[in-house]
Amino acid sequence: MTRQIKYFIWIWFIAALIATAILLPSPILAQNFSVAPAEVKIENLSPGDEAEFELTIYNKDNISHTFILTAYNPEKSQRRPGRAELPDDGWINFSPQEVEVAASSDAKVKVEVAIPSNQEWAGKIWEIWLRVAPKDKDFLAVNYYIRLLVSTSGEVRSVSDIGLFAGIIAVLLLLGCGVYYFRCKTKPK
Amino acid sequence: MKRGIVSIVLVAILALIPCLPALAQDTGTITITMTGVSELSITLDPTEWPIGDVASNTEYETQPPIDWCTLTNTGNVNVNTFIVGEDAKWVDGAYKWTLSSDETNGEHIYGLWFRIHGDTARDYVPITKTESEFWPPSGVTGEEIGASDSKQFGLRLLTPTFFYAGRQMRTHVTISAVAAA
Repeated sequence: MTRQIKYFIWIWFIAALIATAILLPSPILAQNFSVAPAEVKIENLSPGDEAEFELTIYNKDNISHTFILTAYNPEKSQRRPGRAELPDDGWINFSPQEVEVAASSDAKVKVEVAIPSNQEWAGKIWEIWLRVAPKDKDFLAVNYYIRLLVSTSGEVRSVSDIGLFAGIIAVLLLLGCGVYYFRCKTKPK
Repeated sequence: MKRGIVSIVLVAILALIPCLPALAQDTGTITITMTGVSELSITLDPTEWPIGDVASNTEYETQPPIDWCTLTNTGNVNVNTFIVGEDAKWVDGAYKWTLSSDETNGEHIYGLWFRIHGDTARDYVPITKTESEFWPPSGVTGEEIGASDSKQFGLRLLTPTFFYAGRQMRTHVTISAVAAA
């Protein structure tokens, strides 16, 4: 009798284990990832200068995923009021552009914004979106766009840099000539 | 001797005067603002629609038709969402069905639509290869998907009027989220 009870308890235990495995919802929710921050605002960036910041991609899946980052110019109706599209999405650089994020982990991507040194780009207000997309997709997939809001200052950087460079060379030449002159003058004849 | 040194220093200072704007600009402030700990996060459940064998020129709908998939905003910012489709590709080769851009099917051309539960202004909305508004609809403001809010929707597929049989086709529909304007 005791042996029979033990047998039924074992049968019941194994059946319960099997039922749990079948009835539990799958713990995997495909494409479960998030991105932060949702918006980045860069103000007073001089043409010829650059700014950088980091995005964080959180992979909430229990398998690793690879994500691709690209710049995307949205339509006017999708941009914030008063913002024009960034003239060239090549001014945005991702490092790395493709990143593998381990399961239940996160990774950071450095974003550099470099505006060419040109008076044409001074005093502008732009918006561009940064797209984060998974490389492998289910039938239904999720992408995110981070709003990048950029405004430039009225001053252009490189013109001043040339002045600084020329000034330093002039000072070095003057000092060199001065040292040479006084060494020659103090040399006994 | 001393007079000479003073003269050189004075000339050097004069030469550096044009550089002052550049030196001053180095103290200019670039402000980078990243709004708190704002996080973009949406989930879709389910993410697969295994239809099985299909006939030509036939409509298929997800079941239940407009409550099939749940989109949930699991982030902490209100979002606007967009949807885009793509051509269906044969998993073993180059053959494809082109996604229709005008809601009609044709030879090797198929159609896709979505319909959102509670969207009384729109019926089935075509999904094309050009990204368009999912929710809120175009021109509607103040109805973005808030944190913890969800939207249920379904899909409709119209198969091509003619296609090569016996080939397994696969396509993707991508839903994108951006912080609401």
